[in-house]
Amino acid sequence: MLSKSAARLFFLGGTAVFSLVFLALTIDTLRQIPKRSNAEDMTDAVKRGHDLWTFNNCMGCHTLLGEGAYYAPELTKVVERRGKPWIRIFLKDPEAMFPGRRKMINYGFNDGEIEDLLAFFEWVGRIDTNGFPPEPDLAEKIQATQVVTRQTTSDHKALPQPEMFRTICMSCHALGGKGGVVGPALDTVAAKYSRAQLDLWLKNPQEVKPGTSMPKLPMDDTVRRELVDFLLSYQGGNE
Amino acid sequence: MKYRSQKIAWLFFATSLVLLVLQVLYGFIMGFAHMGYDVFHEWIPFNTARAVHTNLLVVWLLSGFMGSAYWVIPEEAGRELVSPKLALVQWASFVLVGVVAVIGFHFNWWEGRKFLEIPRPLDYLVVVNVLLFIGLVGATAWQGRRFTTTGITLLLGLVSAALLYLPGMYHFDNQVHDSYFRWWVVHLWVEGVWELIMGALLSYLLIKLTGVDREIIEKWLYVIVGITFLSGILGTGHHYYYIGAPEYWLMIGGIFSALEPLAFLGMAIFAMAMMRKGGRRHPNRCALHWTIGCAVLSFVGAGFLGMAHTLPQVNLWTHGTLVTAMHGHLAFWGAYAMIVFAMIMYTMPEMTGRNCYTGWIPEWAFLTSNIGMLAMTGAFAVAGITQVYLERKVGMDFLDVQDAVQVHFLGLVLAAALFALGIALFVWNFISFGLPADDLKDEPDQTERQPLKEAVT
Repeated sequence: MLSKSAARLFFLGGTAVFSLVFLALTIDTLRQIPKRSNAEDMTDAVKRGHDLWTFNNCMGCHTLLGEGAYYAPELTKVVERRGKPWIRIFLKDPEAMFPGRRKMINYGFNDGEIEDLLAFFEWVGRIDTNGFPPEPDLAEKIQATQVVTRQTTSDHKALPQPEMFRTICMSCHALGGKGGVVGPALDTVAAKYSRAQLDLWLKNPQEVKPGTSMPKLPMDDTVRRELVDFLLSYQGGNE
Repeated sequence: MKYRSQKIAWLFFATSLVLLVLQVLYGFIMGFAHMGYDVFHEWIPFNTARAVHTNLLVVWLLSGFMGSAYWVIPEEAGRELVSPKLALVQWASFVLVGVVAVIGFHFNWWEGRKFLEIPRPLDYLVVVNVLLFIGLVGATAWQGRRFTTTGITLLLGLVSAALLYLPGMYHFDNQVHDSYFRWWVVHLWVEGVWELIMGALLSYLLIKLTGVDREIIEKWLYVIVGITFLSGILGTGHHYYYIGAPEYWLMIGGIFSALEPLAFLGMAIFAMAMMRKGGRRHPNRCALHWTIGCAVLSFVGAGFLGMAHTLPQVNLWTHGTLVTAMHGHLAFWGAYAMIVFAMIMYTMPEMTGRNCYTGWIPEWAFLTSNIGMLAMTGAFAVAGITQVYLERKVGMDFLDVQDAVQVHFLGLVLAAALFALGIALFVWNFISFGLPADDLKDEPDQTERQPLKEAVT
């Protein structure tokens, strides 16, 4: 039967051995981290962005590298997912993008701070994370089971999606079954509204429909025309 | 109570319970926010509630550990605490730092690093405070009449916990370094040295409550804390899978963290076996319930539910979702909250001379809090698994998924209400014990010397 001194030896010996192995692995990890995290790309902007991240306890709602709280989205690949223009608008006024839904504190970041945060997120997004966050592996299988006729009948007539549409509009509106569900789907807009109506709507939603949750997004005339052209060209699959 | 200075423990236990009640309240704020009723957004936004909730947990558990140490160390060492006055100073400064930190969180004064939100200037005060604490219990043990395994393990746990606070105080520019060393504190605390503290307290309680020979209990204590470190140290690797650390951590973290439940399983089997072996019917059944409950639920929460998502193949999908919250709640409750409750329940009758451990209040406190916590774990599990599938596997947008799981937070809040009822009963029970008395037990500890004499009845 095991004696007390043997048990003590097991505890002390095991602890010592595994502590040493852990320290050795830590030394090797520290050697590899600069390369895996592209430490040479950590500009002052990235560091300032990191400080903003910790100073405001963003981890208290969001996760980054999967670490933090689970109240707000995971942000490791946020620049890749949303694009910089979207994030700029969002950080200026978080409620603009998801009106009436879960709230983020409006920190009133200035343009410099927003660029610092973007630099930080962009740098984080390039860390070699061993494949986290993973690509949704069931998405394709689900789409494969759905009827695909809509896509094929509609897309050939439509103009290519403008950058603004892909990065900003789609986060709330859906088109061809893809996109957000905050605002209505845009498939049939061309059949319902005229060019002038759409133009006015995008210019100032509140004027057309006071109290709407559609934000007045900053865009110049060219972008607005692109959007209207695109929306009118899209026939939504309804002949 | 054998030594008058032991009653300083009461202050720490009372502090623990006050902070626990606050922790539960902040938990409700978060539960309601998840349900879509973020009504305190302007004053207590989610990240504040979250920082308060988790830091109060750490502070009240530490307060419970400190109280337990002030109780156990004099008894194990066989002498009065070296300086009860300094212990009082240590208590007051500990409370002060805790309160300042929690208030600071409401004014954006923090570090924004999960679990280690306490800002740097306060970190230094924590260090001074903990040094004072370690000095007091250390000197008491050093000048004591005897060294026991239980006492030494407890001290070793406390000293290591203090030392491991230090890596969390260094500022790194690189998020990967920051995260790497943050886990040195968080993981090596809760899945390492805190288990030493828990194991030592468990062994102290089992010696007192079951009457099994100290030598046997302490031998198994060594085996269990041995397994804890054998698996837990390299098990830190399960936090290094996806933060930018090398790929070999997938293998190392996977294998060793899969062994971590063994330590908890060991504790559960050990506690059950000692209870059977002892056969002594200590009148304080309630303390025994909390002790055995702690050993069993720590295995379920920390061991089993941890194992459920610790393998890298699973964790790739569950990492950073509500699944973690599911594991976290039952793990902390089972392993650490319940051991503190067991200590409170055992020491209060000794300290106050009142036997408020019978009757429906302590029984229902035990039942409702545990059933409530298990139900909360279930609600988190359903919400978490749904989130994993909709968000991670199917690729739905985060907020849409959150809308889809909102209903499970209604379940969570209801379960939490049951849990809170249990906590309220426990607190009421604590209050009804009253203040510590000055009577000392002069006779040698019967439970330890003559276990079999009373076993017959």
